[in-house]
Amino acid sequence: MSALGGGSGGGEGMTPVGIVVGIILLIAALAAMYVISPGFAFTSLVLVIVGGLLIGFGVHFVPVGGAPAAMGQSPGIATGVTMLAAGAGLAGLFGGAWAAELGFGVALAGGAIGGGLMMAVTCLMVNVVYVWGMGVPAASGKVAKDPITGDTFEAYKSQGTEGHGLPFISYVGGVIGGCLGGLGGTLIYVELLGVYEEFLPISMGASAEAVLPIAVGIAGIIAVGMFLVNAVIAAYNITGTIEGPHDPKFKRFPRAIMGCAVASAICGLLAIIMAVM
Amino acid sequence: MTVAITASEGGMPHNKALAIGLIGAIICLYLTYVNAYLPQPLFSFFGGLAAVLALWWGTDTVKHLCSYGLGTGVPSAGMIALGSGVIAMLLGSKLSAMGFISTPLIIPIGTVIIAAILGIIIGFISDKIVNMNIPVLMVSLAELCMVGAIIIMGLTAMATGSFVFADLVSGSTTFFGIVMLDTTSSYLGGCVIAVVFMLGALGVQHAFNACLGPNESQDRTLMLAAECGFLSMITVSIISFAFVSFLSAILSFIISVIGWVYTYRKYFELSKRDAFMWLDAKPIREKEA
Repeated sequence: MSALGGGSGGGEGMTPVGIVVGIILLIAALAAMYVISPGFAFTSLVLVIVGGLLIGFGVHFVPVGGAPAAMGQSPGIATGVTMLAAGAGLAGLFGGAWAAELGFGVALAGGAIGGGLMMAVTCLMVNVVYVWGMGVPAASGKVAKDPITGDTFEAYKSQGTEGHGLPFISYVGGVIGGCLGGLGGTLIYVELLGVYEEFLPISMGASAEAVLPIAVGIAGIIAVGMFLVNAVIAAYNITGTIEGPHDPKFKRFPRAIMGCAVASAICGLLAIIMAVM
Repeated sequence: MTVAITASEGGMPHNKALAIGLIGAIICLYLTYVNAYLPQPLFSFFGGLAAVLALWWGTDTVKHLCSYGLGTGVPSAGMIALGSGVIAMLLGSKLSAMGFISTPLIIPIGTVIIAAILGIIIGFISDKIVNMNIPVLMVSLAELCMVGAIIIMGLTAMATGSFVFADLVSGSTTFFGIVMLDTTSSYLGGCVIAVVFMLGALGVQHAFNACLGPNESQDRTLMLAAECGFLSMITVSIISFAFVSFLSAILSFIISVIGWVYTYRKYFELSKRDAFMWLDAKPIREKEA
């Protein structure tokens, strides 16, 4: 569904030019980082790219219904991909950032649980609104049977719609998507924070304690920025609505993975150069 | 390939809006540097004007881009613009400290160039790797990344009177009459940039999202964009009380309020012009017995 009611499109698969240039850009970014500062900064860039991949992959799990869902004509949450991904991922990012002092593993777990919890609450409230507010049962139009519970949808689906509500599989997909998004966002934040704590005192000529608030501030805002870039690239890949992991559109995720890897590599390179040089 | 659906006929060509917005914003950013020669940062408000010009141009870009079926809604354009813009702006603000060119005059133009390169790469990813196949996507995302970087840099310059990284990280608190260096009270250490980030993201996505529809007209949409810009300026001028002198902050505040009142009234007039009919609503009177 486009904003102006135009057909949303784009070709299937990836273009050969896109793949080749993408791989060249990815290798160029990694090589540039290795030349400028091998070791800690290079490892961080690799992990930032992994974080971007997790965000791009996770966004595909989140059930998005857009405006049709608000009218009960398609399953999913009635808002855009970017908004939902930003909500889930940023909730996770804040959870992870709070736990950053407690160690790498705890921070990542905090991020994943924060994002997953936010999606779980959202999905629950969406179903409350659908079932008690709009009086529609949860039914998918894309598949005949729920892959997890085995429930059939056909008898409950209203005529002329693509389904409605939030079936169990979409709910589970949403929680998985929130976990992956929160995990990816927190990974980017923790890695950038490590780089800034390491290199900013040298480049600014200040003590580590004085630099800490600045490192936290810059790492936070850049993690938010990179999160939104990756979420929008994944949203462009989805073009409109997606029900969750059982949706046929889910199979498109490889190209978003490729796109997010290149975008994270370039954005991460610029973000790390800022501290290192 | 998707087909363009023209939102409104006529109006100013997009390239003209681009030229006015880009050149005007860069000139305004350079004017804030005059602060370095003044006893007080009185020229801070030019940063806000740069942000308004960038918003005005960015709204036309969003309109240009979203006339193709993106499938994700208009707000995603604002999100990717500011998301990539903040990275370009932070790197740009540190250009003078990197050892190539030591003058801070490189910062505004350098930021725009970094943002353009980053935007072209993200545009290429969306167009060719994600295979959106939209002819204006690469140019539009490059423009939006520049818009995002200029908005953040302009509002930053308005809040702190400077766009140099070293000024953004230095803050001080007075403790028993002794001035102490405290980075927590600096612009970046206090993460005031997060507020500026959201003000810019909402501003750039809102105007076209609010005005789109069968009766959209370019001058009304762009007037709403300018109004959003001045509204953001009012918020930032209040933030600037914490960083610049009282006189400079008051000057910024007065200029933003004047700009906002003017653009709001203009927008109201244009909305009346475009409406099918305008009824001045009156309260329902009780029938006298």
